[in-house]
Amino acid sequence: MEEIVNDSLPVEEIHTEEDQTVIELTNVAMEYFMQAEKVDSLKEFFVRLVKGKIKRQKKKILQDISFSVKKGESVGIIGHNGAGKSTILKIITGIIKPTAGSVMVKGSVAPLLNLGAGFDYEATARENIHLNGAILGYTKKELKEKFSSIVEFAGLEEYIDVPLKNFSSGMVARLGFAIAIDVEPDILLVDEILSVGDENFRVKCSQKIEELQRKGVTCIIVSHSLQQIKKLCQRAVWIEKGEIVAVGDSGEICDRYYEYSNSKK
Amino acid sequence: MNIFKSPKFSAFIEEKAKPFLVKQKKELAKNTNIVIELVKRGIKLQYRNSAIGVIWTILNPLLNMFVMYIVFGTILKYNDDKTYLLYLLCGNIIFNTMRGATSQSLTSLVYNRGLLTKNKIAYNVFPLACNLSAIVNFLFSFIALIVVMLIVSIQVPVFSRMIWLTIPMLPALFLFNYGMSLILSALYVFFRDVMHFYNVFLTLWMYFTPIFYKLKNLGSLWQEIVMKLVMKLNPMAHFVEYFRDIIYRVKIGTLHEATVDTSLITLYIIGLSFAIVGTLVFSITKRKFIFSI
Repeated sequence: MEEIVNDSLPVEEIHTEEDQTVIELTNVAMEYFMQAEKVDSLKEFFVRLVKGKIKRQKKKILQDISFSVKKGESVGIIGHNGAGKSTILKIITGIIKPTAGSVMVKGSVAPLLNLGAGFDYEATARENIHLNGAILGYTKKELKEKFSSIVEFAGLEEYIDVPLKNFSSGMVARLGFAIAIDVEPDILLVDEILSVGDENFRVKCSQKIEELQRKGVTCIIVSHSLQQIKKLCQRAVWIEKGEIVAVGDSGEICDRYYEYSNSKK
Repeated sequence: MNIFKSPKFSAFIEEKAKPFLVKQKKELAKNTNIVIELVKRGIKLQYRNSAIGVIWTILNPLLNMFVMYIVFGTILKYNDDKTYLLYLLCGNIIFNTMRGATSQSLTSLVYNRGLLTKNKIAYNVFPLACNLSAIVNFLFSFIALIVVMLIVSIQVPVFSRMIWLTIPMLPALFLFNYGMSLILSALYVFFRDVMHFYNVFLTLWMYFTPIFYKLKNLGSLWQEIVMKLVMKLNPMAHFVEYFRDIIYRVKIGTLHEATVDTSLITLYIIGLSFAIVGTLVFSITKRKFIFSI
């Protein structure tokens, strides 16, 4: 009996406050069977099944990805389109499970992926704040407290009861950022969102992220703007075709990436 | 040997079991909140920009009933008894609740793809919300039913205490709808033509459910046997006929006219088995949703 109890109690590693690892990816791989041409009609599916023509391609999106992030650290992820950057963020969030390898994440995660993707454009800003707030895990009480600060941050006081279909794309992005950023998470994942909105709002976003960093929030930022990565992150991970090319000091990695991109042209 | 008192056991409770339960509780609270917001959105958006708004939910079944009454009662002279109005309305309300719940759920995952590909979220909240809105709509339709019952009661008293049995019937109907919804919404992620197929199927299903006809004067014995069997195997026939039984048949003493003998227990067996199969199908396929949606 004693043994069983022992088994279910794996020895926890003890970390000191400073070097506590909050995200750890070990040999993560992601692949899925992609039909050469996407079949999404039954007729096609059966026709091809009979003809034996369902070609299934194994597509490797990520291969052997290992890196870790310590508490309070900010890490940038750079690489060309389709390198697998967003997939990594989705794996850390838990939206998709990797086909191999292990993922360890400690603390609450707030994903800022593709702002506004979850909005219902028929509904008003107020209704969207309520629904998206619930999805991010706010309780009714928390949302009531945060509601005015969200609206204020987005600068949409006058438009709060207007359906989103009448909003400009910049307004939508502002609303999305304002809702997501108010979570005060342990870990913040930022995907390409700093490139939307006007200059004014971009500055506001960067400031907000810096403010969170000072509070000790761990950040992972995906961006095509190397300046931003250099400014906001201490370290950077460079990914190409689903594999890590280099990990290290953000300035150094960004410079190498810049040279590589230019040499390819 | 006493493991319950050993320090390791209490440490296990403190370190593993308690955080697990707290997490589950949090997750449940979060999902409940999401479902409430989705239901609110669904009901609000359904009648946005319409002049009389939510009154449509009451008016819709009434208008449907009158259309059917005009066609089958007046033109085809199938039945022009006053209670036939009630007969039509009972069938309509139940079938349309199922239709609303399932056809809305069918597209719910794909419709909300923006939410579920960008957030960690339990996928079944979407069909669940559609099913709850359908039940709310049912309650509105019930107002229409009461109105018709009052009108019919002038000639034949139909109100009986059995009307309260609607309350225990609803969870069974909900479970059946929910099970169907889970299967349909999962299929729709992979095969988009399920929607067209299901629309045709719904029409067929409606004609094989006793909504406007009664099983009498069928002609040959052979036909009667086949139809009786179809009624027995059609879950909707059970729900529709049970609802009619408790709404007025039991009062006016025409229970023998029901096309299928049914009971609350039968309804729960149907509901539970569909919910279980639906949950199984959904949980097996859900890992692949994200790649096809």
